[in-house]
Amino acid sequence: MDKKKRIIAVAIFAVLAAVLMFGTVVVKSPGHHGSIGELMKDAVLHETNKISLFGLMEVNPGLISAFTVTGVFLVFCLAVRIFVIPRFKRVPGKFQLILETAVGLFDSLAKSNSPHRNKFLGAYLFTAGAYIFVGTIFELFGVQVVTTHGTSMSLPAPLADINGAIMMGFLSYSVILSGGFAENRLKGVGQALKDFSLPVSMSFRIFGALLSGALVTELVYHFIALSYGLPILVAVLFTLLHALIQAYVLTMLTALFYGEVSEPAHEKTKKDKR
Amino acid sequence: MPLNIDWQQILLHLLNFVLLFAILYFLLYKPVKKFMDERTAYYKELDDKANKTLEEAEKYKAEYNEKLAQADEEIAEEKKQAHDEIEKLTGEKIKEAQGEAKKIIEAAHKNTEAEHEKMLKTVHSEITNMVSSAAEKLVSEHSTSKAFDEFLDKAEKGDANE
Repeated sequence: MDKKKRIIAVAIFAVLAAVLMFGTVVVKSPGHHGSIGELMKDAVLHETNKISLFGLMEVNPGLISAFTVTGVFLVFCLAVRIFVIPRFKRVPGKFQLILETAVGLFDSLAKSNSPHRNKFLGAYLFTAGAYIFVGTIFELFGVQVVTTHGTSMSLPAPLADINGAIMMGFLSYSVILSGGFAENRLKGVGQALKDFSLPVSMSFRIFGALLSGALVTELVYHFIALSYGLPILVAVLFTLLHALIQAYVLTMLTALFYGEVSEPAHEKTKKDKR
Repeated sequence: MPLNIDWQQILLHLLNFVLLFAILYFLLYKPVKKFMDERTAYYKELDDKANKTLEEAEKYKAEYNEKLAQADEEIAEEKKQAHDEIEKLTGEKIKEAQGEAKKIIEAAHKNTEAEHEKMLKTVHSEITNMVSSAAEKLVSEHSTSKAFDEFLDKAEKGDANE
């Protein structure tokens, strides 16, 4: 690109930015109903903004996000299974390398933490990691839905919903319990039950982490003066970091505890008993 | 429920996650892992084959070196034997030649002595003949002193001719 073209491009970008800034001031927002406190309370509890699930029942927006993410995964996986995987080569291309790295990452995480029993654990960690990562990034797209009150709202991360986070925490704990039972029967279950606070801590850790991002974003967008430039940091960077960190933390904790309870019990020798 | 916890929605989230697990496992995780495992097995097989071939090559090399060392020893042994044999033969030939030479020299000595004896005898008879003929001539043709002088002259000439 020569100098003249570069100047034209920068000028067009500047004009567009100025028009958009002017537009945000001139075109008045319908405004938020209620105070910032009420808004944030609703972001946490979802008591006001409900979405209709096929007209059957009213659910939290997080559940709709969860179904949407699963739908996106279904389409993506089908496309990959039909068009990409049959064309895999021994020396991988870029896309194949990304897929192999993702699968290999969770597989090796399972193998390194639970060397004795890891087939199911690898698949579970892959699903949980992908769900948390993609689900968290999903809120960046700002997919709009209409609430039961007729207002629009952007869909949050599925795990920013307390119900989703509880499901994730308890399911991970159940997986750990099942690992203990499969390897050491009741003794393994007993070992896992010792860490009874684990599902609660897992649930609320993931809920709090994802919700904090949503709250900060909500807070920033509530004031128009903060809406320029700042969202790049608070929305994009925080969301990306949350996506990575939470996916890593939950999968790592699950793998660690699973490995601990599924370790084959060693029979104590006479020397050890003494 | 406090915090808007809804068991029905938790179960729906669970259902969604189970569906997601099935989708990801059967459409992505399993086929990709299968491909990776097959590729690992393929390269492991290649590696095993290469190691096996290398081991065989090392074995053959060791055998070859051993054979080569044996062949060198055999060659050295044969060389030594041949050398000894040649030396032995040469010694015998030299001895034979020396014996032959000794015999030839002895024969030559004998021949020379015989020839010498023969020549002495011939010379002795010739001198006797010459003396007798000279005495005869002196007695018949000249005086004693002249004959004596002639005898001496002939004797001197005869010595010069020999």
